[in-house]
Amino acid sequence: MPLDQPISRRAFLGRGALLSAAALGGSLLPNLLLQRDAEGAIMGIGQELRDVLNEETVNRILVESLLRGGDFADVFAEQRFRTSIVLDDGKIDSVTYGYPRGAGVRVVRRSQTGYAFSDEISYGALLDAAHVASSVVENQSRVTPIDVTPRRVAPPFALTLPVPLMAEPGKFDIVRRMDQAARAVDPRIVSVRVEYVDEVRDVLVATSDGGFLIDRQYLLSVSCTPTAVQGAERRLGLGTIGGRVGEDYLARVSPEEVARKAARSAITLLTAGPAPAGAMPVVIGPGWGGVLIHESLGHASEGDGIRRGTSLLTGKLGASVASPLVRVVDDGRWANGRGSAAFDDEGTPSSRTILVEGGGLTSYLLDKQNALALGFRSTGNGRRMSYRERPIPRMTNTYIDRGQDDPASLLSGIVKGFYAAEMGGGSVDTTSGNFNFAVREGYWIENGKITRPVRSAVLIGNSIETMQRIEGVGTDLAVEQTRGTCGKDGQLVPVGVGQPTIRFSSVTVGGTAL
Amino acid sequence: MPILSPKDVMTRVRTLAERSGAAQAETYLEVVHFTEVRVRQREVELVRQSAIQGMGLRVFADRRMGFMYTTDLRSNVLDEIVNRTIVLAGQASPRDENKISEDTSPAALDLDINDDTVLTKGPADLTALARSAEENAFAQDNRVHQTLDARCGVQTNEVHFSNTYIPYLTYRSSACWLSVTAVASVGDQKRTGTFSDRKRIFADLETPERVGRKAATRAVARLGAAAIPSAKMPVIFETEAAGSFLQGLFGAFSGTQVLEQRSFLAGKHGATIASPLVTIVDDATMRRGLGSRPFDGEGVQSRRSVLVDGGVLQHFMQTTVSARRMGVGATGNAARSYDTLPAVGPSNFYIERGDHRLEDLVESTPRGFLVTGLAGFGIDVVSGEFSQQVEGTLIEGGKLTKPVEGVTIGGKLQDMLMGIDGVAGDLEFRSNVSSPSIRFKELTVGGG
Repeated sequence: MPLDQPISRRAFLGRGALLSAAALGGSLLPNLLLQRDAEGAIMGIGQELRDVLNEETVNRILVESLLRGGDFADVFAEQRFRTSIVLDDGKIDSVTYGYPRGAGVRVVRRSQTGYAFSDEISYGALLDAAHVASSVVENQSRVTPIDVTPRRVAPPFALTLPVPLMAEPGKFDIVRRMDQAARAVDPRIVSVRVEYVDEVRDVLVATSDGGFLIDRQYLLSVSCTPTAVQGAERRLGLGTIGGRVGEDYLARVSPEEVARKAARSAITLLTAGPAPAGAMPVVIGPGWGGVLIHESLGHASEGDGIRRGTSLLTGKLGASVASPLVRVVDDGRWANGRGSAAFDDEGTPSSRTILVEGGGLTSYLLDKQNALALGFRSTGNGRRMSYRERPIPRMTNTYIDRGQDDPASLLSGIVKGFYAAEMGGGSVDTTSGNFNFAVREGYWIENGKITRPVRSAVLIGNSIETMQRIEGVGTDLAVEQTRGTCGKDGQLVPVGVGQPTIRFSSVTVGGTAL
Repeated sequence: MPILSPKDVMTRVRTLAERSGAAQAETYLEVVHFTEVRVRQREVELVRQSAIQGMGLRVFADRRMGFMYTTDLRSNVLDEIVNRTIVLAGQASPRDENKISEDTSPAALDLDINDDTVLTKGPADLTALARSAEENAFAQDNRVHQTLDARCGVQTNEVHFSNTYIPYLTYRSSACWLSVTAVASVGDQKRTGTFSDRKRIFADLETPERVGRKAATRAVARLGAAAIPSAKMPVIFETEAAGSFLQGLFGAFSGTQVLEQRSFLAGKHGATIASPLVTIVDDATMRRGLGSRPFDGEGVQSRRSVLVDGGVLQHFMQTTVSARRMGVGATGNAARSYDTLPAVGPSNFYIERGDHRLEDLVESTPRGFLVTGLAGFGIDVVSGEFSQQVEGTLIEGGKLTKPVEGVTIGGKLQDMLMGIDGVAGDLEFRSNVSSPSIRFKELTVGGG
């Protein structure tokens, strides 16, 4: 949605019918929930933030931030409106609205950062924050910021009728449909939990280099976890829908089919045998399998570890870090991606960065501070969990690009190996490069065919070593936009990951069968 | 900001909710102040300082629950939130167990969880401690001349609580922390080692000397680590790895998870689920405990519960709603923040210390593996599967020999718990979930 595109009163009221009983005059809650503008007024994005933080007040706060010197400063304000619906045991267990808002001030000098925030968005509170943040800069001479000018950044993709603005009965309907579909698969499905969360996030960024940007971001995440029980065996399935999507998305995907697939996966795993233990040929399926690249090279390419010299990719630009078959992309503008936005959380337009080309490292992922220190430009990867945190370099939507191989052909010739169909979470130590990720649904590969299901197990490896063992890359690229939350330094941000089917000559599998 | 005190804000909100049609209402308001300094290569890298305040309102109307939270405490916003939350509740399903306990205020406990001296620690004090910890890491070993950072921070937390039956409750607590992540290098190889301490009382915090030196020692110990061949062998989890294991196991003891068949312990109440050496406790009343509090997120009196006694499963942990659904008493395990609904969570959750010394456990292991760290998401409390990336040291002839990494450990949680054949006496609390070192008779190590 372009900056400042109004939401028409009619489009809005059509969606908020259920809430009208609660609407009161003179409300202070975010515009999108209000009917006070009933006479057709235009609902401006970030209006509540701009009421306090206009060009004039942010200029004064930025001047205050740099009184003691510094390379740059910024003001970041945010308000979110979250709706969450949890269904368990066939019942709507809870419905939650969250309305967190606040603002923070950051002052940066070389590798030093001062950060202070306030849950109260007021001129006085932010001047205080500016004083605290500037205390990190000792005895420098005053720096004068450039007056801010509103900037427009083209949206990465068009979004009509974002799901978070949908009328609430529609949201409850998704939750109930997924529950019923999952239960209907098999009597061994004994419980189903569905969690629906959506969010409208207004952000305002004002920077000492003259930027003043406002945006509204929409996000939907729905998960369905059926539990299958047979005798003493219990297995969980997982199906998710979501992304930065509009109502057209809900017409394209079938929530029921996603729920049924999750239930069938739980049932399949009831009869799973032990997973293998030790090193063997491994094939990882498309989509969420991209957790692999996120952990193996993604984190290590983030600029903070490079500046500090503690990432194993420090000084490796141009060096071979993966098989020549591998191309890795971080795309902050991927359509509907969880990691997508018009600009990052420090006001840099998001971009598409080629991290690895032909197996060689071509770029790092950079925020402003680390780009400055390393002599590059920001790649638009400065992200933060909320106004309570400073931005740090993060991935957006990261994937291994499509290759040349027919996915089915990647199994051929494997006498005994492991196929990872559905992944869980992972983690990495970017200094040693040791990483892991969980496989929720895995199978034996025997004589070139996927055969028996096995119990959940982790796959482990070392970044460069494992990526150099890639011997086949499929044509079936898929980027997962429905799940994926990355944690770093206590900050959680939504991300996309992806890959086509990929074959490795050897990866260590953490099962129990020797 | 409103001039209203937290108590006034809550009273106003709760009274309005009850007048506007909520049968029962509960408010939970938090005020948090914190300062943290991070030092790297002798320079201050980050000073982060701020105050957090937020309130959550839970209402019950016709046995339906609604919940809303905000950081915006302007009074007209609050009025509107009350109305919206009541409308919201109407959209949930009714459940007979949805109500607030008619318990009155819990008794006072002497927990010693607040230390006002943390308030006197400014960025300069914290910087000095972090710097000293980093210097000690450098001084410990000449292969350490880098850190990821050294961190020192302090925090105070006020909780204000009120519901239809409890007019007002409050408590203050404090926390302080000091940590270093050292980087050891030899040639191209680099490995990190972290030591982190967290305490309620500032004077209890580990010294910068010990924090820095331990971090450096751990980093150096990882240099030259390599995989070992796959095999079944005895495995000892050293205290921090055992703590991670216990943390991963927590969900299996949640009443909510058990009710929905999402725990491998469902249906095992009263059964032997672990070796007789294993006693697992959740104690919210431990003096100076990082998880101690006088009452939980629903105003329920804190207590000590023995969940597993000599291997026998005695209790699950509950919120008031899960306890009613299961037909058992409340356990005071509703964990929450102002922005979350009460959910089952641990207070001070630990395995009781045993009789052995860690050294004895190692010496009595002819060939085995001492695990010092676990990583990843491979503990599945629903299926009961365990699979993790691990690192540590090989034990040969009862002696610690080579550093090991790049291997996995796999097993079934049920078999692992039953197969614990040694519990050490080295339980220390640096986190609210802690364990002494434990030895498993045999696990599968997946290697190169």
